[in-house]
This record gives sequence, C-alpha cells and structure tokens, in this order.
Amino acid sequence: MRKPHLLVGAALVAAMLPLFAHAQFQQPTPEELKMTSDPKAPGAAAVYLDIAETTDDNLHYKSYYARIKVLTEKGKSLANVEIPYAGEFKVTDIKARTIHSDGTIIPLDVKPENLLSFKDGNTKFGKMVFTLPSVEVGSILEYRYQLRYPDEWVSSPEWKIQRDYFVHKEHYSFIPFASFLKGSQASSSHYLYDEATGQTLNTLIWMSRLPAGTPPLTGDTTGRYTLDLTDIPARPDEEWMPPIDSLLYKVQFYYKGSYNATDFWQDEGKRWSKQVDHFAQPSSNLRQAVAGIIAPSDTDLVKAQKIYAAVEALNNTDYSRARSQSEMQQLKIKPAKRAEDVWTQKGGNSNEIALLYLAMLRAAGLKAYAIKVVDRDQALFDASYLDRDQFNDVLVLFKDGSKETVLDPGEKLCPFGTVNWRHSNTYGLAQTDQGPAFGKTPDQPYTANSTTRTGNITIDEHGAITGYITQIMSGQQALRWRQMELENDDTAVKKAFDRELQQIVPAGVDAHIDHFLGMDDPSANLIAMINVKGSMGAATGKRMLLPGFFFESRATEPFVQQEKRLEAIDMHYGDRVSDQITYHFPATMSVEGAPQDAKVSWPKQAIYLSQSKSGPGQITVTRVIIRGFDYLKPSDYQELRGFYQKVAASDQQEVVLHAAPSAKGN
Amino acid sequence: MRSGGSSSLRSAALIAAAVLCFGPAARAAKNQPPPQWALDLLKTSVPAFTGDPAAVILSDEYVETVDAQGRATEREREAIRILKPQGRERGCAVSFDVDEKLNYFRAWTVTADGKQFQAKNTDFVDFGDTTIPILLSTVKTRVLHPPAADIGATVFCESEELLAPYQQETVWSMQVNIPFVSEALEVDLPPGRNYAAHWHRYSPVAPTQVAPNHWRWELKNVPALDLSNVPVAPSWSALAARMTVTWGDAAVPDKSREWKAFGEYYTQLQEHRADPTPDIAAEAQKLTAGAPDFYSRLKDITQYIQKNIQYFIVERGIGGLQSHFAGDVFRNRYGDCKDKTTLLISMLQAIGIQAYYMPVDDRRGVIDPDDPSLAVGNHMITAIQIPATVNDPRLLAVVKGTTGTRYLIFDPTNERTPVGNLPDYEQGSYALLAAGADSQVVALPVLPPTANGEERTGTFALAADGSLSGTVEISSTGPTGADTRLALKYTDPTEQRSELEKAVASDLPGVTLVSYKFTQPADLDQPLDLTYKIAVPQYAHTAGPLLLVRPRPVGDDAMPFSDKPRTEPIDLHATGRWHDSFDIALPPGYAVDELPDPVALDTDFASYHSTTTVKGGVLHFDRVYTVRKIGLPASRAADFRSFEGAIVEDQQEAVVLKKQAAASKPAL
Repeated sequence: MRKPHLLVGAALVAAMLPLFAHAQFQQPTPEELKMTSDPKAPGAAAVYLDIAETTDDNLHYKSYYARIKVLTEKGKSLANVEIPYAGEFKVTDIKARTIHSDGTIIPLDVKPENLLSFKDGNTKFGKMVFTLPSVEVGSILEYRYQLRYPDEWVSSPEWKIQRDYFVHKEHYSFIPFASFLKGSQASSSHYLYDEATGQTLNTLIWMSRLPAGTPPLTGDTTGRYTLDLTDIPARPDEEWMPPIDSLLYKVQFYYKGSYNATDFWQDEGKRWSKQVDHFAQPSSNLRQAVAGIIAPSDTDLVKAQKIYAAVEALNNTDYSRARSQSEMQQLKIKPAKRAEDVWTQKGGNSNEIALLYLAMLRAAGLKAYAIKVVDRDQALFDASYLDRDQFNDVLVLFKDGSKETVLDPGEKLCPFGTVNWRHSNTYGLAQTDQGPAFGKTPDQPYTANSTTRTGNITIDEHGAITGYITQIMSGQQALRWRQMELENDDTAVKKAFDRELQQIVPAGVDAHIDHFLGMDDPSANLIAMINVKGSMGAATGKRMLLPGFFFESRATEPFVQQEKRLEAIDMHYGDRVSDQITYHFPATMSVEGAPQDAKVSWPKQAIYLSQSKSGPGQITVTRVIIRGFDYLKPSDYQELRGFYQKVAASDQQEVVLHAAPSAKGN
Repeated sequence: MRSGGSSSLRSAALIAAAVLCFGPAARAAKNQPPPQWALDLLKTSVPAFTGDPAAVILSDEYVETVDAQGRATEREREAIRILKPQGRERGCAVSFDVDEKLNYFRAWTVTADGKQFQAKNTDFVDFGDTTIPILLSTVKTRVLHPPAADIGATVFCESEELLAPYQQETVWSMQVNIPFVSEALEVDLPPGRNYAAHWHRYSPVAPTQVAPNHWRWELKNVPALDLSNVPVAPSWSALAARMTVTWGDAAVPDKSREWKAFGEYYTQLQEHRADPTPDIAAEAQKLTAGAPDFYSRLKDITQYIQKNIQYFIVERGIGGLQSHFAGDVFRNRYGDCKDKTTLLISMLQAIGIQAYYMPVDDRRGVIDPDDPSLAVGNHMITAIQIPATVNDPRLLAVVKGTTGTRYLIFDPTNERTPVGNLPDYEQGSYALLAAGADSQVVALPVLPPTANGEERTGTFALAADGSLSGTVEISSTGPTGADTRLALKYTDPTEQRSELEKAVASDLPGVTLVSYKFTQPADLDQPLDLTYKIAVPQYAHTAGPLLLVRPRPVGDDAMPFSDKPRTEPIDLHATGRWHDSFDIALPPGYAVDELPDPVALDTDFASYHSTTTVKGGVLHFDRVYTVRKIGLPASRAADFRSFEGAIVEDQQEAVVLKKQAAASKPAL
C-alpha cells in the first residue's frame, strides 16, 4: 500500500461502479487436486497456484485473490489469513473455501474477526482475521477480499511479487486515477495533490524489480497496467544477507510531480539541499556559541574536532528519550526548526544534531556539506525508485583543504573520523560544490575495527582453571557496547557482555566481566577486564586435553554448514580478531602436543594465522583472523565457505599435556 | 539507535494522517496537577534492593469494589520511580476486553526536580492482542508512554475498570521484575458476601478490615524476581509470588471445597458444549470400528483430533474460558485447547467413554493446590475416565480421584504426544478436574524414565588423516519423540536439513551431512526414527605423534549450570533414558595409548554411566543417561553441579592413539 494523495474536486465515482472486477473462484484441475509435491518447488510446504491483485484508483478499491496448495503439515498454517489495514480502509467481501483433494468443497461460514492492532492519537491499524475450515494436507485454499478506501483518496499499489512460498501464476492489474488514463485528462476536473510537498501530481511512475526476461511493464491502450508472471521462487532466507526486502521482486507504482528520474532527483536534491541549508543556517547565536568552543589559533581540523565533541555531548534523544508532544506543549517548547533551536534546547535527534554540527562548522568558517544516506542495515538504495525517503540518516562531509572526511555526529559516542557501519559503503544524497548529487560513503577497512583478547589462564592437575583476559576493542565493537550502555546502564551492559562470553568460552568455564575501561571516551580503545574460572578440558590417566583455542572451541564460524548460496553476503564491516592465550600448568606436566601452526589465506579477502609456542610450565596459543571484505557476491560463496571450513577445522585442535615431562626429542 | 521501521508501516501512518487532517484541531485540555495520593508518595524514599533495579514501584494499590450481583470495579493507583535508563520502559498499562469497560486511565509524571506533567491522549497507545497469528483475542491493552520519564522521575497512574460480569476472582501478582516498596489489595464486598484468599510462594498476611466487609492486604519491600541469568530455572510464573481472592460461589472456607466449586462452575459453563452431533457420533463410530480394546479406541479418536484439528482461535470475552460447541469445531476443524478438549469429550462420549475438562497451566508449578483458582492457568487438557476393568500398561498418565475413579490424562492440543503418555511440561503439575460434583484438584503424574528418551547408535570409520565418516541412527520415544515430530510438522525439508546440520555441526564442526531420513510411523505411540550419514574432514587431531579421537562423535547430554549461589529450584525438564552406542573403526597403524576412564554416577535424581573400550581395532563408546526426577530444590544445587560437571568432563574426553613404528624392511 503506497502513500495516498488527496483527490481534489467533486466526487466522481458513481458513474463508474459497474466496472468491478475481481477474481472468481475457479475449479481446480485433477492434477492440482492430486498433487502431493511440486517439482518446481522441491520440499515446499505449500505453493501458491494463483495470486491476483487488482487496484482501481477511480473506484477506490483493491481486490486480492489467492489459491494455495497445501503440501505438508507446515503448509496448513497458510489457512490462517490476516488482512492488515490502516486508517479508514475497510476490508469487505471476504469469501473463502477449502477444497479437499477429493474435490469436496467446504466454504468459510464463520464471520471473520475485526481486531485492533494499534491505535494512538493519530493512527489506527486493524487486522481482519479468519482461518479456512477443514484444512488437510493436500487441500487447496482459496480466498478473496477487497480493501476499500475513501473516495477522496488514491492508493497506487505495491505488487509484492516474491512471497514466502513458490508462486505458479501471478496476475496484477492497476487502473490509475482517471487523469492518468489515456483520453481522460481533458474530461476530468480532478487532479491529485500531495499535501506534503504542495505539488500537483502529474506523472504515474513505477519501480520494478522483475525476473530476468520479463517484458517491460507498459500500460495498455486504456491506461491499465497488467502483469502476468509464472514460476516465482520463494523468498530466500540465509545468514548474513543484505536487507532482503531491497532485493525481492516487486513493482511499486506512485504518482509524482516530475516526468523522469533525472528531473525528480534534481528537483528533490535541490529541495532537500535548500531545506538543509535553511535548517543549518549559522545564526549569530550559533556563531557566538562556536566562538566559545574553538580558539582562533586552532587548525581547521582541531576546530572541527572541538565542535564535534560539543555536539556529541548534547542530549541525543535517539539514545535517551524524545520529548512527547504533550510534554513539549506543557514545557512550551516547539519542535526544532533551525539548528540554533537544537543548540538552545541542548539536544535533539540524531539528524538534528548532525545538521547542528553542519551549521556550527559553517559558523566556524569551515567547509562542510550534508549527506543523507541509506541505513545499510535497513535497505539498499535504488535510484529508479523516486522516493527521497529512501535516505534515512544525515552525515556531514568535512573538507579540510583537499581532504574530505565523512563524519557521523548523530551517532552518539562515534569517534571523530569514523561512522557507524550502517552508514558506510552506502549511497546517499550529498551536497557538493556543484549542487546535490548521489554519493557513496567509504567502506570500513579491517584496521578500523579490531578485537584483541589476551589472557593468562592457570590450570591445575585436575583441570580447574583461574585467570583473566583483557579484551581490547576498537571501531564498531567498541561503539556497539558504548551505545548499549547509553540506553541501559553499566550493570545491564555487563550482563549482556557476560551472556555473549558464555556462548564462546569452553564448556565448564565461567567468564565474567569485572569492569570496562574507556567506556565514556570514544577516542580511546574500550577495554574489558574479564575473570575466568571453572574447569576445562579432560583429564586421562596420563594426560590432560585442553581446547587449543579458548574462544573458538564452540565452533561458531559462519557458513560452514550451508552448502549453496543464493544471495549476496553482507558481513557489515571488515575486522581483525586476535587472541593470545597462555595456559600455565603445573611443573609436573609438559606439552606433548599443541595445535599445529596454520595459515589459511584467501587472497585479498581474508587470512587466518595460528601459532603455538610452549615453554616450561606454559604454552601460548595465538590466533588471528582478518576479514578484509564486508560484502561479497554469491559467486564468491564457495571460496568464502572453504575459508571458514578450514578455519573451523583448525580451531578444533587441542593442547595435550603429559602428566610427566616428555623425553627430550619426543 | 536511530528509528527504523518498515516502509509499509510508515506509508500506512501517512494514510491515517491524511484522514485526520480534515478533523478539527484537538483542543488542548487544561493540565490537572497530580492528585494528593501521588504527591504524598513523592516523599517515599527508596530502600536498598538487591539486584540493582532499573526502576522501583513505590506503591501499587488495587481496590476491587464488588456490587450486589458480584460484579467488580477495579481501581489501581501506581507510582513508579525510574532509576536507570532502561527503567523508562516500565510504564503502566490496562487491559480490557469486550465485556469490560475502562472508565478512566490517567497519569502524571513528576521529575526529579519537581516539574509536573500530565499525560495527554497522545501519550497513550492501544494495542490489540494480535501478535500470535493462531492465538488472537479481542483484548486491548492501553499503554502509557509517560511524558518526562527521565531518571529520577516518578510516574503516577490511576485507572478504573468495570470488570467482566463473570469475573468472580482476582489474581494479585505482587511480585514482578522490579521491586515494590509498598503494595496493597483491597476488596470491598457487599454485606453478606464472603471471600476466600490464598497465597502462592509468599507467607500469608492477614488482612485488616478498613470498613464493614472491606478488606485490605498490605505488603512492604517485595523484591523483584529476576531469572534472566539462572540456568535450568522453573517457569517465572511458577516462582512469582501471588495471591488470589475470590468472592463468587467458590468463596468457601475449605480449599478442597473451593476447588470443587470452581470445577462445578466450569462444568456448568461447558454444559452441552460437548454434546455429540450425529456427524460427530458417526465419525467416532467409524474411527473405532474394529478397535480391539479401550486403548485402541482412545488412540483412534485422539489421533484423529491431534492430526486433523488445526490450532486457531480468536477469543472474545468469555470465549477465553468457554469453548465453542463440538459440532462447530468438528465442522471447521480448528479451535484452541478448550475446543479440542470439547471435541475429544464429545467423540469419546459418542462411543461410551466419559471424559472431563481439566484446566491446567502449560508451565509446571504455576497451578498450586494451596491456591485454588480458575483465573490462574492458561491451558485445557482432558481427563478420560478409565473403566474399572481396564488395566493396560500403555496407559501411563493415570491419576486416581478422591472417589477412587481412575483418569487417563491426555493433552489433545499437543499434536504429537500419544495417548497414554503426557507432555513433559505437564508432568508433575497440578490441574483442576472439572467433573461436576466430583471436581477436585489433581496432581498430574511424573512418568517413569522408560516412557521417554532416545536410543542412539552410530557406526563410523576413522581415517589416518583424521577424517571420520559414518552413520547415526536415533530412535526417539515419548515426549522426546513428540518434540521431534512437532518440529518436523512445522518445518519443510530445507529447514529440517538446516536444523539437523546445525545440531550435528555443534558436535562436529565442518561436518557434511551426506544424507538423512526421518521415519514417522502413522501411530504416534511408535518411535520416531532418524538415520543420517556424515563425513567430517578433520575429526581427529594430531598432536605430535598422537592422534586424539573423541569417542562420542555426536550427542550432548549436559544441562547448563553455574557456580553462582542458588536460591531457585532446579528444573530437570523431563524424566527419560538416553542411550548411546557408537563404534569407530580405527585407522591401521595406530594403537590406543590411552582410554578415558569409565564414569559411573548414581544419584536419586539421575544416573550417568559411560565406558570406552577398544577391541579388534574398533573403539566402542557406550553410555546411558537416566533422569528420574523432574526437579530439585535449590538446596541440591551442589549435587546438580557436580553431576553435570562430570558429564561435561566426560563429553570432552578423548582417546589417545599413537602411531606405530613401521615394520622394518626385510633383509635382502
């Protein structure tokens, strides 16, 4: 369901009512009735035999139709149908039936329930629910319904072509608002108007991601758009996928006030840049504030750093709490309309603080621009989709001479010079000297994100251990824990840290954070001081066997199990994880066997190194894994998996301690 | 964290906003200051609580005013002080159904520096009960997002709700996940009406009579219950303190009479719901035609319901207690636990077997025989009367009523636990047998270890390069087999393979699952079998001249435990017997240098025996793990830790193989 727009003019629907058309129930074929599995979807719990959606923006309704074959017990869950709707939409004309594999038809004769999902002072969402009767494995489920919306609205459709299950046939149809139908413009006294922008909407646009080979979508002679597709695969579900909703097949229609993508992005870019400049205009109050932060003798870089620290210190309400509407009214505070308001109110949301930073840099006479980027954790940018709301978060580009630095002042506790990974390697709309343009932020080198764990563990002859580990974090890991503490407190963060530790240390070991160092200082490394105790390994009559790699014995490497890959791999950022654990053991024991030194290299992508070194009463095992990539294509998967399989195998090696000193040369 | 959210939600929100733009601008109501009760509470100091709470409830007081017809109006006044950032999440909320009416819900915040705010309409959000697609209801919950909810602030909430006419009791949950400084419950009864009050996991406190037949219970400094880092803990709801008060017909002085009264009420509520229709009777007759004995007849009927009645419900008002008619459930083939029980009772009745409703909770320990209540509990199962002449060893889940009547306890909602057995989470619970005048509270049985478990056998070959290949066969019975059957029901083959790969890989990193096959006999009382073949590139590891081989390629019997002092009971989950028998053919040229010692642990709650032997170049690992009890008191924590620690250690044991010197070349 897309953004509605107000229809301006007299009501026009009465004369058009006879044009209703919605899919009728159909007689299943003998093959469909007998079907027990689907060669096109091996192992599927169910398949859609048919899906049909029709939208008519003149009659203000959408109709939906689905026919589903249930192939396994799990597929019976598709009998539960939920129809979400918003605001003044109404769900009508629900018809449903179950057809058993012997052809018996059981119609839905229970009134669907209309339930509230959510309601506040401004919005309301409901849900119409029903379940089809008498469902068995082998049943065909068939239902249809209509969604009606008010006469003064239009609601161009979004066709979600790729579903949770394989679809044999899909049919979509859209009759746009009359002014967009061929030959209708002259006769219609109505037009569309976008409240938000004040624009008259004169163009119907669509964004489509369709299977290869699908002919381009075009309207017919009457202006109706139809799409027929067959054999659409199910939505993929794999670990470390990019935001999958940005990759699924779909078509999205919308009305716009521009004629093509170039015009749109130029217009929107200018409008956005103007809004940014208006908000971030350096007022005299801001100039005065900046003068109190920086010294005239500071270099531009130092000025930028000092101002960054000042805005980072403000109350970022995305990490604390945004004032509610009623609270603002009672405090007689108005929403920030200018950067100066954010400064005066000593806080704002992330984007407001980022724009304040921009304003203060400019007030300091520094050259800086705004970039509004796509949050890479949420979506991927698609330039063919003409919607500025694709861009979520504001960053600031600081130009120090010829050097450009992307800054993320809206990310609380993000060090100067870096950004949250969600804002790296992602597209954005950027202000430039030549006007607004698309840009892409840099990816994160592995050197920026590191975790180093160094520990000393003393083990007695029975396997009881005590010791400590120092974990030093920089980059994204440090940022994650620091931001967690902002929204919780030290105790809660320690509990969360302990939970993660407990999942990776060997069975029988209790590992607990004692304290953090550098939690409040984003410019420093974050250090976790960890105490360990418990028991570890296995003792035999003559020997003691210990996990060679303290943090890896639980085998948590990704991709090892998954043989094939459909989608790209997004591991967010490159990083380096180094471990150096020294086991101290009684003098009566000696090292009989140690993990073999290993090097697993995936050129230009990743490397794994391990080494062990023993001496009297101790053995030190070192492990380093460096991942230089953050994003890979599916074609890289086999090499990726091969790398992690070798790593996983190496990580299972053990240290063998002998109860008496080994003979020399043994 | 910046706000995200789905695009569909965002666009839908804009839709609604467009509608509202036509409406008249809302006129801001004049601020009302906090009431005096709230201002009085502001002076409350917060005592030291253990656990470093994120917020504390300074006061929470309920007043239930019952009218002459027994219908109650509930008023709540609550004051919460925020101590930490995450304490802001603890707000006030009121739930109400179609038979209830929320008269008012008001709230104020007083900040640490004394500023006062009143919550306005925009600070409240209503949520429907629609998060679980198969378990829906018409209940709505109004949630407050308090203004100015910063650290040090105190949020005051006041609400009044006319409760449903059939609600004749209230459950006072006096322990939550943050501590209370003070809390109270008042019940104001009309003249001549009695009440009965009972406590669960809290020493009873006597009420004071603040007015004629108006009673007040008051508690101070009740700690939070936090089980977040407590391994193998019973259900939170089973451990949380509560008090129930009833003022209806069940308000009688004796607990067993009170349970009986609840049972009679429920029997009456369900009257005629289970009456068999001709269709039901015909189906029941058809299903059991030719069944040779009582058990077989039960199996035919229960399996029909387990396999053919889908779980789906939209509860409306009293529909939370009362089922649909059996005829409707049979025709539509869907329903909730009450509906499934209704159809089962109906079908059994059609073939001359008497069965009864049995309200229960699917979290062991929640129903307390010393706390009679119909409001506590979330589930419905069936008690099937066993004729005196029937003595079938397959009927394991049997209880005897006070009159000597035997009942087979069966859960038709659990789609895979066979009749005769009982889901492990219900074993050891208490339940209400709603059998008219014979109604009573009943302890559900704990079944013997032989009723549950797995036989795991494996044959493997180890190569000199450390690689391992082989076949594993697992035969699962009882609740363990039922759990696997349920998992298979709700997954497709791709998911099944993925889950199995993950499970095997947790023991065998880098494993390739060569093939797998589940065999599910149609009869649920037959074992579920799984056979799979694996290949592991580097199972055994070299260490100098040694090759280290774990004799247990797969299977983990250890339960989580910690060294922290324990105050909560230990939940052992289920009784059962798990047996492993693995053979690993060793590579030529290697001899066993060292074998793990055998392990023999015997306690009253469990036993564990494992041995590793070698014969003819084949390593044999055999172990039997038997759990005899479903729980232990906290005082047995040391025994539990010691037992589990020994299992963990045994599971890490390895056989040490040593490469033999090559035979010397024959002399020329």
